[in-house]
Amino acid sequence: MVRDRRWLRRARWVPGQGVLGAVRACVSGLLLTAMPAEAEEERSITVLSWGGAYEEAQRETWFDPFTEATGIEVRVERYSGGLRELRSEADSEHAPWDVVDLTMSDALAACEEGLIQRLDPGMLRPGPEGTPPRRDFLDGALTECAIAHTVFATVVAYDRTAFPGRRPTAIGDLFDRERFPGPRALQRAPTANLEWALLSYNVPLEELYELLSTRRGLRLAFRRLASLGDAVRWWDAPEEPARLLADGEVVMASGYNGRFFDVMVNEDAPIEILWDAQIREFETWAIPRNAEHPDAARAFIRFATRSDRLAAFARHLPYGPARHSAAEQVTTHATTGIDMRLHIPTHPLNSRRAVRKDESWYASVHDRINERFNAWLAEWKERTAEAASESAE
Amino acid sequence: MGSISSVLLLALLGAAVGGVASLLSLGFVWVVHWLNDVFLISPRSRMLFRPADWLMVVTIAVPAVGGLIVGVLHRFIPERRPHSPADVITAVQTRRGRLPARAGILSACSGLVSLGCGASVGQYGPLVHMGASFGSLFARFLQAGRSADNIAIAAGVAAVIATAFNAPLAGIVFAHEVVLRHYALRAFAPVAAAGIMGHVLADAVLERDALFHVAETGVPHVWEFGAFLVIGALGAVVAGAYIHAILGAGRLARRLPVPALVRPAVAGAALGVAALWVPDILGMGQETLRLATIAGAFSGPELVLVLVLKVLATALCIGMGFGGGVFSPALVVGTLFGALCGTVIGLVTDGQGATLAVYAICGMVAVTAPVIGAPITSLLIVFELTGNYVLAMAAMASIALANPIGAQLFGRSLFDIQMRNNGLDLSAGRSRAMLQDLGIAPHLSHHCVVLAPETPLAEAVTRMSHAGHGEGYLVDGGQRYCGTVTLARLTAASEDGAAERPVREYIDPDRPLLPRDASVWDAMGELQQFAGEAIAVVEDTASRRFLGVIYEAALTRAYMEKTEELRREEHGSG
Repeated sequence: MVRDRRWLRRARWVPGQGVLGAVRACVSGLLLTAMPAEAEEERSITVLSWGGAYEEAQRETWFDPFTEATGIEVRVERYSGGLRELRSEADSEHAPWDVVDLTMSDALAACEEGLIQRLDPGMLRPGPEGTPPRRDFLDGALTECAIAHTVFATVVAYDRTAFPGRRPTAIGDLFDRERFPGPRALQRAPTANLEWALLSYNVPLEELYELLSTRRGLRLAFRRLASLGDAVRWWDAPEEPARLLADGEVVMASGYNGRFFDVMVNEDAPIEILWDAQIREFETWAIPRNAEHPDAARAFIRFATRSDRLAAFARHLPYGPARHSAAEQVTTHATTGIDMRLHIPTHPLNSRRAVRKDESWYASVHDRINERFNAWLAEWKERTAEAASESAE
Repeated sequence: MGSISSVLLLALLGAAVGGVASLLSLGFVWVVHWLNDVFLISPRSRMLFRPADWLMVVTIAVPAVGGLIVGVLHRFIPERRPHSPADVITAVQTRRGRLPARAGILSACSGLVSLGCGASVGQYGPLVHMGASFGSLFARFLQAGRSADNIAIAAGVAAVIATAFNAPLAGIVFAHEVVLRHYALRAFAPVAAAGIMGHVLADAVLERDALFHVAETGVPHVWEFGAFLVIGALGAVVAGAYIHAILGAGRLARRLPVPALVRPAVAGAALGVAALWVPDILGMGQETLRLATIAGAFSGPELVLVLVLKVLATALCIGMGFGGGVFSPALVVGTLFGALCGTVIGLVTDGQGATLAVYAICGMVAVTAPVIGAPITSLLIVFELTGNYVLAMAAMASIALANPIGAQLFGRSLFDIQMRNNGLDLSAGRSRAMLQDLGIAPHLSHHCVVLAPETPLAEAVTRMSHAGHGEGYLVDGGQRYCGTVTLARLTAASEDGAAERPVREYIDPDRPLLPRDASVWDAMGELQQFAGEAIAVVEDTASRRFLGVIYEAALTRAYMEKTEELRREEHGSG
């Protein structure tokens, strides 16, 4: 009521602006159901997303239904995270994408750098029972420039046939080459690796990032990573670790829970997930600053973050919906019929020792920590090469 | 029935005090954390802060400005210093109670600012004082007696420790072991109620993991218990060095040509400069404490360096007048010391011993228990925070020697040394301390025969006989006390024919004399030397201005009353 009256007052005092605003609101409102004349060139939008099973599920539950509802076609381009793409297009007249699927930490950094537009959570649909978005979305899901849609976890998965008679139960086992011998696949990035390395010393979760911020904590983490020696296979593309694990190339691998789930269900691979110290993160929607079709992009985000759409997505991939009303609707897997509630990272069974990724920490130290990691990696390569040539001699 | 309802009322008092004290301490801890984030003391906030060049400036400026604020705050406290647990113990042990509200609030603020700005001080001291002050204030509000006041103070202390450590047993035992120094059943119920309130609230509000994670310690070898004992003995020496560094820095600070107002600021700036190289010494040192329990976080020489610097930083901060406790820094120092011992033993035995964390914890209790004079509390803290029986046994081995050796070396605790310096010596027990604290002024009597020195013997004899007193006190025209005469001696002399001689020629030698501010204990000491009716009391020994006398019977009555009061408090059950 208050807001309405304020809007009226503003309309009276500055009639031009008020009318313009009303027209604009009507246009974006109409976008969902009918195509207004000015949207002739908005027949399609381009989404930058991650590919793989993830993209397939997105197409089935979000992209195609959106096209069906609005007539706007959704084209998809792929990337593997980071801000390189956004930065390289930052100065061109129009970015090649209208919507970007960003991790929360990338979104925070991009917002800071002004690479993406501000988004008003008021544009989102309320929950099925009229719950306002601010209450329906999980804590921390709504930020200045990005709106979280799902919760995914970076986890360690292992080949359950690799260690007869025992199985890893704690994150420390990732670094225990004596009890769990064999190669491991880890992401060529500091994220998750540093957290797990430090957690393997049994430090409490709530002190994790405080300790990672100290010289000594960081040194301990790198030392733990180094203790893996030549047993590491570094991966870059997110589909790699599940593949390596399914093919028996490694015995343990870090990766996104969705990717592992995909090979577990679709290939019946003997893979199990070690939920201990899962690193939970939001996946968000954002619109590049220089997007060509920002209105259509907003309409898409509004559509794709509806409770029913998020719940539908969780029937394909084990991604926890970022809003409470949707999480309650999660049911079974679309094709195999297994209970998906047990596979989403937010289930109580799986989240006993979940790390909530410190997004603002990463947003701020992103470049510094990458630099440090790459320097360490170069050193590691040198050392393992030396060790290899020594053992060859 | 009456006594049961009084027990229940006391328990209710304890619960009420405990509930509020617990909430206060939760708020205190929260504000300290928040300030540490805002003022770039916590490692995370320091890591996120850009541009890095400014971090240097901030690191020096924040403790310096904090010090200035603390200096200003202390000007409004009558004693010009923050109050500490020693003041709480003094109030309880002398049964004075009645902790002042103003000093309590200002001391808590001083602690908040000091901790928030990264001074190397502890949070438990200010917390204990805050809980105690609230308890005392609440008892006064209810117009309760001194006993209830003392119990309310203990309840506040128990709740605060129970909350801040999330260790209710340690809180309850600390209140008895350090503050009350007795285990009367009458006090136990309210103190326990307060501890439980603290635990419940801490559980409901704080989502906190145990202070230490020690995974799979295994059972230490038999020889390792020997090592734990030795660590205990050495830990007492480290504790002694720590205590003397703090006291010495305080003495040194008073001699510095720097006004008290800016002393903390100078210390803060010096701390900031040192922290540029060794950031581990900044603040309470929670991260340092954690890292010290992990093998490899510090090399041997680094452990020594950080240990020495932490002792010096704490001595500097507290000695120069920052408000704050000595417990948290002692935890850090002790843990570093234990890690050092563990590292050495690991080198000598080629890694045969237990994990480093076990040694770190043994070192921690070996240093902290003598500093605060609380062996059982320290043991319980380890037990409650780790839930590990093996570890508790290892800690007990260390404490077993640490406290007795510490007591021999320097005293029961830092608090006891501070109290002794302020004139309250509890080393000979509480009854003596209480009698020392009890002034003779209330027992002063004016019912005595006062004679001018020139009075003739015969007249003096007549006056004394009529008054029914065996003694007379000679006071000259300037109200100066000149000596005491006895009726027996005067009568004998007058019968010998000296009836006209002035009485001043017959003064009894070796008569004791008490200044007005003497304690009952002093008076009792004088009583042992002579057999007479009463002791003359003067304004001070220099002016010898006569005030009255104090009768032996009055002293004995005061002594009996005090002893009975203590007996009721310490051994009463209702």
